[in-house]
Amino acid sequence: MCAANLDQLSASQIAAGVAAGDFTAVEVARAALDAVEQRDGEVQAFLQVSADLAIAAAEATDAARAAGRPLGPLAGVPVAFKDNMNLVGTRTTCASRMLEGYESPYTATCVQRLLDAGATPVGKTNMDEFAFGSSTESSAFHPTYNPWDTTRVPGGSSGGSAAAVAAGEVTVALGSDTGGSIRQPASLCGVVGMKPTYGAVSRYGVVAFGSSLDQVGPFGRRVEDVALAMNALVAAGRDPYDSTSQDCPVDFLEHLEDPVEGRTVGVVPQLLEAEGLSREERTAIQQATVALEAQGARVVEVELPNIASAIAAYYVIAPCEAFSNLARFDGVRYGYQEPGCSTLAEQTSLSRAHGFGEEAKRRQMLGAYLLSSGVYDKYYYPAQQVRTLITADYVRAYEKCDVILLPATPRTAFRFGEISDPTEMYASDMFTISNNIAGNGGISVPMGVGAESGLPVSVQLQGPAFKDRSLLTFARAIERSCSAEGVVAPAFAGKGGELQ
Amino acid sequence: MPLTREEVAGIADYARIALTDAELDEMTTYMNEAVELLEPIRQYDLEGVEPTFHPIGDLSNVMSDDVPDTSVRALPIDVALENAGASRDRSFRVPSILGDQGGDR
Repeated sequence: MCAANLDQLSASQIAAGVAAGDFTAVEVARAALDAVEQRDGEVQAFLQVSADLAIAAAEATDAARAAGRPLGPLAGVPVAFKDNMNLVGTRTTCASRMLEGYESPYTATCVQRLLDAGATPVGKTNMDEFAFGSSTESSAFHPTYNPWDTTRVPGGSSGGSAAAVAAGEVTVALGSDTGGSIRQPASLCGVVGMKPTYGAVSRYGVVAFGSSLDQVGPFGRRVEDVALAMNALVAAGRDPYDSTSQDCPVDFLEHLEDPVEGRTVGVVPQLLEAEGLSREERTAIQQATVALEAQGARVVEVELPNIASAIAAYYVIAPCEAFSNLARFDGVRYGYQEPGCSTLAEQTSLSRAHGFGEEAKRRQMLGAYLLSSGVYDKYYYPAQQVRTLITADYVRAYEKCDVILLPATPRTAFRFGEISDPTEMYASDMFTISNNIAGNGGISVPMGVGAESGLPVSVQLQGPAFKDRSLLTFARAIERSCSAEGVVAPAFAGKGGELQ
Repeated sequence: MPLTREEVAGIADYARIALTDAELDEMTTYMNEAVELLEPIRQYDLEGVEPTFHPIGDLSNVMSDDVPDTSVRALPIDVALENAGASRDRSFRVPSILGDQGGDR
């Protein structure tokens, strides 16, 4: 095979090339590390590059091939992990001072499954602190710059994973999505990002934020790469270490190229009139609708009457769960420990005050208030009742359609500092958040760049619980018609990463 | 009724987060804005609506067999202590729990 840049190859092409001996996994790993070296200075997607682990994993893949052992479906594929996922041999910081020196004591199941499939771990990516945010600006360490326009944010909270894929530094990255933290940064960075149905992917070893909402999923520059990563995540079945993990015996590649002819797409007119939705993102929905109709899909209108209350329900449920989960950071067993304290109570309060950043404190304070006596009945319990109504809306809608087509985000990537009011930032997830509340799957699909902004625009598909394969089939149909697959942000394409 | 600065200080105490005076002012503003955002929840008549605490409805407690699982999940003590701010004799070390009495010596 002649020389190629790694950023032009799909995950399956890399795995096939390694299996065929066109190049070795170590050559791929070196090319990926070179791409990171050449590109990440401007993007800063990574908090930590795990070069030694990458080379060691690649050497193991090459040794397996030399010994005639079968290779995994991700053999040699360079991957990155959001820094809330434990991987032995790396720190897991959640982009927080609280966990600045935290060494992963074990490896998360989602990470292990990609490694078991033969993937090469390139490093850990930046994020909003403890995943609280939509811009990656709340990272305690540094911002991440959107590869399409480095004066703008990559979205968040999985902004580092989205940016690393968009800049062609890795082929696949994992993120986590509690209210939109995979789909919104995927949208802002022009890549595919999938939040599977709650329970499809194990949460074991992923630092918890909102335990009834959190779900891990992949980013890729092609729908096919995301499907391949999903296969690796679910192939080994339910994880006994996560009691909410479910068996998901599905081959996500099997029906990827199926026609959508005769299948039904729901659109929600009320969402297309939503305040704050930009003209470009609305146009993208129209283009995707036309493309799906041209492929023979039927488009019907559906209603989600309670979706307008989803942000309110979420900002009750998520802070309460976050307060409960983050209570473990007491400065004793791990995390920042305030020196010189004379009592445990003082050490706890000061460790938390100085270890957590502003937004992490805000979310925990809100959760603490909402769970307090007398307040619980006013907000927490009713929010869980509203969750029932939102979930029922979706069930009714999916009686009329296979998937729902809606925006992923109200607007394209914004500038650093442009949204400084925390509650205004919360509106970034207005189209993604209801899906976490219902526990369903969703995927953000790039639609090229906007005519006015020149920045990536996108659409989102949502589907019923455990029908994630349909999401990928429809996403592939949109990709076929509407977006050149495998696009790397132009300023970074071909910069380092040559596969010799 | 908006939350007062004193009430927010009480919540910070309960949440074990020592806030400075300046932080307390900002937090009070934030808390009141955030609570306003939640108002749609209170506009519903939810009589007879069951709550959904979790997307997977039929969860039940998971009981493991009563046998030690030392080979896989149990962290070795040195690994468990590796991230601790202070440790001694295979234990986490903490300052006095009861004020001046019984402090670490």
